[in-house]
Amino acid sequence: MTEHLASFPVLTCMLLSPVVGLLILLFLKENQAFAIRMVSLVAAGVSFGLAIYTFVSYDTALGGLQFVEKYPWVKAFGITYFVGVEGMNAPLLLLTGIVIFTGVLTMWELKERVREYFIFQLALVTGVFGVFMSYDMFFFFLFYEIAVVPMYILILIWGSTRKIYAAMKLTLYLMAGSGLIIPGILLLYSSSGLFTFDMIQLHGVAFAPWIQNLAFVFLLLGFGVLAAVWPFHTWSPVGHVAAPTAVSMLHAGVLMKLGSFAILRVAMYLCPQGFQYWAQFMGLLATVGIVYGVFVGLAQTDLKYVIGYSSVSHMGIVGLGLATGTIDGLNGAVFQMFAHGVMTALFFSAVGYIYDRTHTRDILQLGGMSKIMPVASAFFIVAALCGAGVPGMASFWAELLVLVSAVKVFPVRGLLAIASLVIGALFALRVVQNCFYNDPNPKFAHFEDVSPFLGLPRMILIGFMIFFGLFPQVMLSLIKSSIVPFIQGM
Amino acid sequence: MLIFNQLETYLYLALVLFAIGLYGVLSRRNLIAVLISVELMLNAASINFMAFNRFLAPHPAVGQVIALFIMAVAAAEAAIALSIIMAVYRKLKSINAEQAVELRG
Amino acid sequence: MGSVDTVFWMCTAIVTLPLLAFALIMIFTWRKPQLSLAISLVCSTIPLILAWYLFVTIRDVSLAKPLIVQVEWLVSSDIFRVPFGFLLDPVSLLMLAIVATIAWLIQIYSLGYMEGDPGFARYYADLSLFGMSMLSLVTANGLLQLFISWELVGLSSYLLIGFWYEKFSASEAGKKAFVVTRFGDTGFFMGLALLVIYFGTLDINAVNLAGLSKTMPQWLLTTTSLLIFCGVAGKSAQFPIHVWLPDAMEGPTPVSALLHSATMVAAGVYLITRLFPFFAASPTTLTVILVIATITLLLSSTIGLVARDIKQVWAYSTVSQLGFMAMGLAAAGLAGGTMFAGYYHLVTHAGFKALLFLCAGVFIHHFGTNDFFVMSKEGGRHLRVPMITVTIGALALAGIFPFSGFFSKEAVMGVLWHLPSKIWVGLGLFGAFLTAYYTFRVIFVLLFPRPDDHPAWEEYKREEPAGHGHGEEEHGGGLGYQAMCFPLIVLAGITCILGFLMGPLEGYLLGEHHPHDLNYLLLFLAVGAALTGIGLAWKDWGARTAKWQGFIRSFPSLENFFLQKWYMDHFWRWFLNAVIYGTFSKIFTYNDRRVVDGGVDAVAFSCQGGGRLLSFLQTAFLQYNLLFMVLVLAGLGIYLLMGL
Repeated sequence: MTEHLASFPVLTCMLLSPVVGLLILLFLKENQAFAIRMVSLVAAGVSFGLAIYTFVSYDTALGGLQFVEKYPWVKAFGITYFVGVEGMNAPLLLLTGIVIFTGVLTMWELKERVREYFIFQLALVTGVFGVFMSYDMFFFFLFYEIAVVPMYILILIWGSTRKIYAAMKLTLYLMAGSGLIIPGILLLYSSSGLFTFDMIQLHGVAFAPWIQNLAFVFLLLGFGVLAAVWPFHTWSPVGHVAAPTAVSMLHAGVLMKLGSFAILRVAMYLCPQGFQYWAQFMGLLATVGIVYGVFVGLAQTDLKYVIGYSSVSHMGIVGLGLATGTIDGLNGAVFQMFAHGVMTALFFSAVGYIYDRTHTRDILQLGGMSKIMPVASAFFIVAALCGAGVPGMASFWAELLVLVSAVKVFPVRGLLAIASLVIGALFALRVVQNCFYNDPNPKFAHFEDVSPFLGLPRMILIGFMIFFGLFPQVMLSLIKSSIVPFIQGM
Repeated sequence: MLIFNQLETYLYLALVLFAIGLYGVLSRRNLIAVLISVELMLNAASINFMAFNRFLAPHPAVGQVIALFIMAVAAAEAAIALSIIMAVYRKLKSINAEQAVELRG
Repeated sequence: MGSVDTVFWMCTAIVTLPLLAFALIMIFTWRKPQLSLAISLVCSTIPLILAWYLFVTIRDVSLAKPLIVQVEWLVSSDIFRVPFGFLLDPVSLLMLAIVATIAWLIQIYSLGYMEGDPGFARYYADLSLFGMSMLSLVTANGLLQLFISWELVGLSSYLLIGFWYEKFSASEAGKKAFVVTRFGDTGFFMGLALLVIYFGTLDINAVNLAGLSKTMPQWLLTTTSLLIFCGVAGKSAQFPIHVWLPDAMEGPTPVSALLHSATMVAAGVYLITRLFPFFAASPTTLTVILVIATITLLLSSTIGLVARDIKQVWAYSTVSQLGFMAMGLAAAGLAGGTMFAGYYHLVTHAGFKALLFLCAGVFIHHFGTNDFFVMSKEGGRHLRVPMITVTIGALALAGIFPFSGFFSKEAVMGVLWHLPSKIWVGLGLFGAFLTAYYTFRVIFVLLFPRPDDHPAWEEYKREEPAGHGHGEEEHGGGLGYQAMCFPLIVLAGITCILGFLMGPLEGYLLGEHHPHDLNYLLLFLAVGAALTGIGLAWKDWGARTAKWQGFIRSFPSLENFFLQKWYMDHFWRWFLNAVIYGTFSKIFTYNDRRVVDGGVDAVAFSCQGGGRLLSFLQTAFLQYNLLFMVLVLAGLGIYLLMGL
């Protein structure tokens, strides 16, 4: 892969901006709430801006890795600080930027332990940025762990509904995943004989088939836990329900993508033969997840559980796309990671507003919210329609690409996944009808609608969703520029 | 004296010191006494270093550096251990190791 | 005509302007009804002008030589590319003009109907979205673009049916419409997926050519055309997924009139027309379509016999006419004919059915009820314009000369006649008889009200629980009434003259005239069936001595069967509750709670329990731990030394 060095350390700035914000927050006092929010917003905004910048200025004609920064760190073990951008991670960096920026705005009304909250949130997002941009397996794993740990505290302190159980479950589950990842990574590291963690160099090594098969399944299951691959998904609905709004947004919007991105970036990239060996299995798990998620979601009554299971189903689509191993499938999978991230962030953001007011997420208690808060409801309805796969939204294209290529590679599973779209529609509309239509619940009639300022983050999310729905090529040309060489290299 | 010019002499000395320290650590219930015994064990290690340095090591400074290092560590350790003991005393009104068993499973 | 580029930009403007209106209203002006109205009207008038301009000026195109303008929309790989473009040929140009006109009329008519509704702006936004998606549906060049518009049509229909969302029945009907049509659409989507994988392109022209030249393997052709027909059945309300359409009448009446009778539901039939050579290449598919369409025709006409809600009657008649069109198309394919008859019936039906619904809207608006028996207490006669126009529409629907329906029904019957088996034309005639009967049941009841002491009132006192969505105010005169009457007159005029345009229209569409040898026997039979229906309706409902009891009363079990709508709603309700919710959803949820999550928790809790078991080792006594450590180290050391 060609590498183009950065003239200006854009990626490091993107990575360090939350860290700097975090350090400043350490010196602020708890009662300076406005300053705390502004610092977090600026820190997130800088990352967001830089993410847009890399997204826009990435040169698809040139291709390869751009904005590369490479500094050796521990030479003895071959650990290098090696970051870069290519077509498949640029959308995800952008996604992270969008979600953290809108997440900070969404949590603007937080009253309790504001300073600590934003410190942990910025720490979390640093890890996420790091994973998406690292090309060194050591740093990849390091940032991965950095992203997972603050989650525990965020859920434990600011969460709701069985938060201790959920936080513990989530953390232990993800740690168990890490327990599978480390052997996989070390197996590849030690059997390469190169003494380097540099993924680009490791890619050049032709590992023995048994090593590939073994390492791939370790990495698949380990990262699969974070990607909520069925049957390792149960932490995710529970975690979503317990987490505070912006954490749910980050969690479902971005963190779950770490898992699927890592499967693509590490497992499939380094063990192509292992992938061939396990592709059928991957496709099977993904399809079960797609069908299963919608059916279980149909029976839920908590709004956040519903969204949690829709995430399981949508992440199944990502998995199915990856399993096809075709250009269209991978394009669709990466596109779906982005689209689902934005969609689900919007979902949680909209639910968060309603929950903050009504203190209930029970779809049997809500009702007629469209009458009470039309704008807040509209946000949710847009997200639900996106989830139902309505064209004009980004996820339509992603699902289209994945499903068509899935039908090609695994006809039965592909057709099954398409058939589950009906249930997906029923699923989304059931919630919309119960919560937002019919007669309003008089108990909630006095609540105010979203103010323009609080509506802003949701509008940003909708804007991105529809922009990429109408002009998918903007995103796809970027993704394609790295997927095509990726497939050729496999 | 020939006996002082032999490595084994010092090793036996260190062994005895170490064994005394170990016995003290394991048998005494007074935390201060345990701390003192630990110091004895550290000194045994120091003696070993010096002895090996004197009789075997090519470079004369290595063992001495480590001996100095051990002194520094011992000082720091004593300080920390004493403060822990102080804390234990404040909490339990005793420095008996048998009473500090709140973590029992 | 200008360059190809100009055409492209004009088409793009036609499609995007209403979308722009939707976005503007939804984001900025949804609190300001007047401004929203202005935006919406501007953004539907310009497409109307452009559409007619294109229709009039583009002359040198034919079905074999269409004008295609397109750009790439999405390129994923060499085999998967989606163009954004327009296919302009007589079929799409005519449909473009019709749709633009109807979309415009709907907006004018709604001026009066929706006046003062709190959701006025939202209503116009939804209408604009509908306009955009329908216009892009009829002009789409690729099947995928068509599918996208198809889904968006479904979306706008969902929003409009559930427009009065506080009403449970409305939101339920919207959901039902979306999910049921989505049921068909997944079939459509699977068909497209198979087509793009095994055929390589979704270009409509290429697909049609492959059908014509039989280059596509027969299994693929049959499978995909059947799957695409699933989509058609969903959107055009064919058996067994027609159940959403009658419920869709929960929406505001202009919407029922123009979406759910004239344009949107015709999309399915339009798709068969669009892909006629492709469908015609597979006899299996055509036979399936013929059978399903015939069932649809009979099912809905029989339900129409007993319905009391005026909109329900028109809704079932829409379903039956859609079945009739599909019969015509399928029969034409089987008998080697052209798609003209079905398409022509589609065009005339759009006119007279919209007319019927709009008249119904005026009545509903005036009387504040949907039940035409209750309306007839006052009688319809004093609403002169709607009463005359509704009769014109009814005559057209029944197929009476010289109204447009006569010509198009005749054409379809002619096609059916050419089938080897005469049973189809017989069933078609029976359907025509039923149609005439239930249509004039409505007309006669409205025209000839009974005195209050008539014994028949015993049965009809009970009012159907269907209401008119928004608050009642003073109606009758005023601008609102005139805005509502204007489209009626226009549509009635169209219904009167469209029949005589059959020849030129056929020439325009097919590029050739087929001299019609008049089949006097068939003509006699068809007119006879219609007149028998009207006569029977007169005997049962119109005449002074009529008992106001349908002839169906003589068969009580059959009447009950029809009243229960052939139990199709029951079936789907059972399917949803027992199969989807009751079985799959329940089992999976149980499995998720107990097996999958239970397994995880079991691992966690067994670790916890194991830890508790072993915790006796942890005495927390410092020196025991140390002793243990020393012993282990000593043991290790001895082991190592022995090894040396």
